[in-house]
Amino acid sequence: MTSLADNQSEGKILILATETCAYPGADSVGQAHSSYPANTFILRVRAPALFPEHFYLDCFNKGISGIIIMSCGEECPYDGAYKAMATRLDRVYVMMRQQELDIRRLRLTAICTVCNRAFLNEVNQMNKVVQELGPPQMAQS
Amino acid sequence: MADENKDKAITSKRKVGVYICYCGGNISDHVDVEKVRERIEKLPEVAAVRTNMFMCSDPGQEMIMEDLKSGAIDRVVVASCAPSLHETTFRGAISRAGRNPYIYEHANIREQVSWVHHGDKATDKATRLVSMATAKAEQLNPLEPIRVEAGKHVTVIGGGIAGLRAAKDLADRGIKVVLLEKSPFLGGQLASLDQIAPTGDKAADLVSDLAGQVLNDDSITVHTCSEVESFEGYVGNFRLGVKKQPPEMDPEKIKPPGAAGEAAGEFIPFAGVYNGDMPSVPAEFTVETGVIILATGFKSYMPSKGEYGFGEYEQVTTLPELIRSMAENKAAGNLMEFNGRKIRSMAMIHCVGSRQIPGIHPENEGGYLNEYCSRTCCSATLNVSNIIRTSHPGTRIFEFYRDIRTYGRGQEELYEEAARNQVVFLRFEDDASPEVVRNISHSGDFPLMVKVKDTLTFGEDVGAPVDLVVLVTGVEPNTISDLVEMMKLPVGTDRFLLEVHPKLRPVELPISGILLAGTCQAPMDVGEACNAAGAAAVKAAALLGRGYVELDPFVALVDLEKCGGTGECVNACLSDGALNMVDMEVDGQTVRRAQVTPALCLGCGVCVGVCPENAIEVAGWTLKQYEAMVDRIVAEEVTA
Ligand SMILES: Cc1cc2nc3c(=O)[nH]c(=O)nc-3n(C[C@H](O)[C@H](O)[C@H](O)COP(=O)(O)OP(=O)(O)OC[C@H]3O[C@@H](n4cnc5c(N)ncnc54)[C@H](O)[C@@H]3O)c2cc1C
Ligand code: SF4
Ligand code: SF4
Repeated sequence: MTSLADNQSEGKILILATETCAYPGADSVGQAHSSYPANTFILRVRAPALFPEHFYLDCFNKGISGIIIMSCGEECPYDGAYKAMATRLDRVYVMMRQQELDIRRLRLTAICTVCNRAFLNEVNQMNKVVQELGPPQMAQS
Repeated sequence: MADENKDKAITSKRKVGVYICYCGGNISDHVDVEKVRERIEKLPEVAAVRTNMFMCSDPGQEMIMEDLKSGAIDRVVVASCAPSLHETTFRGAISRAGRNPYIYEHANIREQVSWVHHGDKATDKATRLVSMATAKAEQLNPLEPIRVEAGKHVTVIGGGIAGLRAAKDLADRGIKVVLLEKSPFLGGQLASLDQIAPTGDKAADLVSDLAGQVLNDDSITVHTCSEVESFEGYVGNFRLGVKKQPPEMDPEKIKPPGAAGEAAGEFIPFAGVYNGDMPSVPAEFTVETGVIILATGFKSYMPSKGEYGFGEYEQVTTLPELIRSMAENKAAGNLMEFNGRKIRSMAMIHCVGSRQIPGIHPENEGGYLNEYCSRTCCSATLNVSNIIRTSHPGTRIFEFYRDIRTYGRGQEELYEEAARNQVVFLRFEDDASPEVVRNISHSGDFPLMVKVKDTLTFGEDVGAPVDLVVLVTGVEPNTISDLVEMMKLPVGTDRFLLEVHPKLRPVELPISGILLAGTCQAPMDVGEACNAAGAAAVKAAALLGRGYVELDPFVALVDLEKCGGTGECVNACLSDGALNMVDMEVDGQTVRRAQVTPALCLGCGVCVGVCPENAIEVAGWTLKQYEAMVDRIVAEEVTA
């Protein structure tokens, strides 16, 4: 599949949302009928610690403009997964810098099942970032 | 094997069936569902796309089952509401068609599309979400659920009327029950009431009767003075650590039950039924149980100091205090007595601590507002007013209300009766609450004056001189933050426990095997609390009926062809014993490889992220599937 996103001007945002916290949190935003940018794509994940470093780089390479990892934070049902995730992310940031990718394109945050305001805030913030930065350009691609 | 679908080249070995729901307009008002269908039909892995007004209806589910049985499809995607609502419904339909339920993927196009986006953007996004789901579905494999034995045993937490009802209903179905109550008494808040609206039943009779049945049932073990201290496990196999300890009681005020010779099973007014079990030293024990029912109830709203003069004037009290005083002082007489004083005139102020409005009412201690209606207080107040007006005709009553909400059978009659009993009603606007002040300017020796702009007389400023002001205090959820934290219970913005779905799954939590009963979920009257308890009991019995429960098989799987034996996954694994390095024969050679113990694996996927060979996956949630979904997010052809 080609790696250029269609409709580049929109800038696509990938959201990794935990099954027990952030994903129901996004549903709660829906139940409140609070609108947010439509260039957002939510993947339901059990724990974002599943994704290896290269997954994030691959996403940017494919044309994803921004990634928000919405975890459970301290509420994580898997004891220790959040810490594993946070250290993994430090390495991803190093790799992003090497690729001359603005690290604001990747954000880790905690969203609870009723954190509507926080969800909207994160999405709008990231949307601002991707509109400002435009499509990702990798140094080595 | 002629290919029926000539419009597109089939490049997939899968036949994904896609079912898109209108949700009666909830989706189709914003998403052009037929356009989504047309676009999705073009995807190579898709064999059939159908739309329906309500996919969760029987005809909707039948469509899926027929397509599976005819062989038209071998993977299923439903695009509808949030998966928390109907993923299990559609997996169930697939099972009923004789197929493996894990060949299913869900696309959430209501909560995450039609309710938050509009116009072409909504249709485009819905298309993309469906195409992501079909890309994942193409890669799904049948999985076998992990079957674990489940003890036919339920633990009910909370011994109020709801907990008692649930325990008894379960015992009647042959299920063993442990009932944990933190106080020394059974009956909960109902034990602190007297004559119940709207039936006129005596609270003491209701509590004694049901608590008696519970205490006499051999299938039920009651532990009072007991609270849950630790929690682990999953549906069918929960383990609760319980602490039983002597209650904290002010010896000046409350004599310990039993000391005064109360027999086990006796009802003690404003306390409850004493079961004869009073620990003198703390003890700890564990309970192994299959299902947990939460029946932790509510507490009465406590007005803050100065709220309508509460805590400032001794003549300001609350509805629960009035009920208690009336029950303890039943002497007839032209005038009611309260705290030894004759009451010639009294005011009831409704909605205190309920229906609080941001910007109008100050936040309570803790920074929240009770925006909900407490639902039982209107009827309870009218009931009390009728009793006073009948027993003490000389006592005049003014009821200050925002709205009268006598919603249930037999409750509107209480309002009509109060009007006939010459209770005087005054109505105030949301932002013009009555004021309670010292009565100085007016004649008479009434200590207090309640002033209000009365909308029933078109905004006239009215003052009622009174001997007593009763604040109709509502209800708040009990403080159970320890349980919430331990069990990761979802809590609503109103701080009550939050069910999966208010209409379709009203007593279930998203955590399988934990159910709700009564006022821990929302304000309810006694009948409603018992209804909910009965529903929770049936759900619990159904869950445990087969003697085993099936857990989702979303656990780690090692690809032995790829595993190089580095053991990175074992080092990273969060669950002791879930992953081990073992020696095994591969191609005639002994090698060390990772091995998963499914019952211990959490399915968190931490191992997936660290494996240098990509040799380990979480079944049903593989990295490849995620990558295929990301490809669809960026693919040009999807919304073309
Ligand atoms: C002033 C007033 C008047 C009312 N009048 C009427 C009326 O006239 N008619 C009517 O139908 N309804 C009336 N109600 C409502 C009625 O009181 C409730 O519907 C009923 O008591 C709810 O029962 P429950 O079991 O849900 O909760 P509760 O009665 O609150 O019982 C909960 C129990 O759980 C226990 N518990 C709490 N936390 C824990 C824990 N962590 N571990 C173990 N145990 C725990 C508590 O000690 C308590 O025993 C009135 C309510 C009020 C406040
Ligand atoms: S039941 Fe009546 S008094 Fe109670 S909160 Fe609702 S409207 Fe107010
Ligand atoms: S999924 Fe989690 S618990 Fe299971 S083996 Fe992997 S790291 Fe261990």
